[in-house]
Amino acid sequence: MIVLDNVTKRYPGSQDALSNASFSIEQGEMVYVTGHSGAGKSTLLKLIATIERPSNGTVLINNQNVSKLRESALPYIRRKFGLVFQDHKLLYDRNCYHNVALPLAINGITGADAAKRIRAALDKVGLLHKEKVMPITLSGGEQQRLAIARAVVSRPSILIADEPTGNLDKNYADDILKLFGAFQQVGVTVIIATHDVLASANQTHKILHLDHGRLTYQQVTADE
Amino acid sequence: MNSWLMHHTQALKLVIRRFKDNLFSNLFIALTIAVSLALPMIVYLVLSSFSGLVSTIKSDSHLSLFLKSDATPTMIDSIHNTLATRESIKQFHFISKEDALQQLIADNNNQDLISSLTENPLPDAFFIEPAALDSAAIQQLKDELTQLDGIENVQVDDAWLKRLGYLLALGKKALFVLAMLLSFALFTVISNTIRMQILTQQEEIEVSQLIGATHRFIRRPFLYSGAIYGLIGALFALMITSIVIRLFNLSVSTLAAEYQTDFSLLLPNTDVFIITCITAIAIGLISAYIVVSKSLYKSIN
Repeated sequence: MIVLDNVTKRYPGSQDALSNASFSIEQGEMVYVTGHSGAGKSTLLKLIATIERPSNGTVLINNQNVSKLRESALPYIRRKFGLVFQDHKLLYDRNCYHNVALPLAINGITGADAAKRIRAALDKVGLLHKEKVMPITLSGGEQQRLAIARAVVSRPSILIADEPTGNLDKNYADDILKLFGAFQQVGVTVIIATHDVLASANQTHKILHLDHGRLTYQQVTADE
Repeated sequence: MNSWLMHHTQALKLVIRRFKDNLFSNLFIALTIAVSLALPMIVYLVLSSFSGLVSTIKSDSHLSLFLKSDATPTMIDSIHNTLATRESIKQFHFISKEDALQQLIADNNNQDLISSLTENPLPDAFFIEPAALDSAAIQQLKDELTQLDGIENVQVDDAWLKRLGYLLALGKKALFVLAMLLSFALFTVISNTIRMQILTQQEEIEVSQLIGATHRFIRRPFLYSGAIYGLIGALFALMITSIVIRLFNLSVSTLAAEYQTDFSLLLPNTDVFIITCITAIAIGLISAYIVVSKSLYKSIN
């Protein structure tokens, strides 16, 4: 469970990237963070993923106040999240298999157990046949899916994706969103930032709309 | 504990693989480190070889006690007794003026010169081997013996040994300075190498931090890397030193033979080897730790 209470984030020398945001996300929810570019979507995601700390207010992750945690405790909180970055942040010096292996290595999982999980993650995103391929040779959509495989391999309870469909054409984008939907259906909390209109979102979901750092829109739609 | 061990083997494997991937350049870096280590090692071995020489010669060193020409047998006896009771004297022997003359005649070919002597010009003498070898104790013994009745002169034949001793002390200081300067060189070489590694793995470090890697996890392979550079450098240094010392010894033993000694320079022993390894590994670890911590600190801010 994620709770933000009156959270403000200000970067030095600029106005508030996020001001007085309050909301909560329950376990297993599908959440879209929308808004124009520069509205503070990425900042919001970074605050949830404990990559940034709030300038003001409290961020609670599973009832733990992140703002009060020591720097050295943050890595362990971050491991609860699966992150899909806007620019993928894939490592181009190693093949797909070893890209997905990174979070497991950080968690201290190697060997046969790791191999099984890596192949399962690659299979889930449809890249099992490309495990030995270098990521630079993959298409944009495939790279995005590889990034998702890396995000889910350590079985996080919360999946966070920043503009996962940003540079993809509609077919690819739909595939990716379906993939996230599948994770949500097995109980993973999914938080996606997007500036697209949500065409394929036909599950119950929550929308957090940001405008110049202000959370202006918050609703739950349940279209059956 | 198990996961701790696992993390370490994982990091070590990674480092060894990366070392192998750039084997050639890594070996050159290790060679650079080896040269920095080998220089003080060679100087140390040369110095300790000479120190060994000094102590063996010192054990031969002795005091010569020349008696006055009019010393009576009673005086000789009393000196003999005094010497026998002194603990600072290891052993001594007496050579009378007659014996000395006989020896001179036996050793010398110029019989004319000797036969021309009307009387025995040689004094009675005691030759003393002191128990302690340091020059202060010998000097004290000399002062005490000079005051005995019937003594003409006490000679200590260690003047050149003293000078060699001073030179060695100077050499040891020079070695210390050299070792200090070269550790800085070592530090710089390893830091720069690790810094380059960090740069090439910047993306991995960044991503790892974002998805929950602890500082320790990120630091670990670099620490191993620094330690391995140190260790391999130390092994190379041992090789270089052994080769250089053997090469020197070819000439040194010829020279020593001219002086009727079997002096040769010492080869590195286990102690030297272990100390070199530990020093090199420690410098590797410390420089890696500092560089990685600096870069982690930067990436946070």
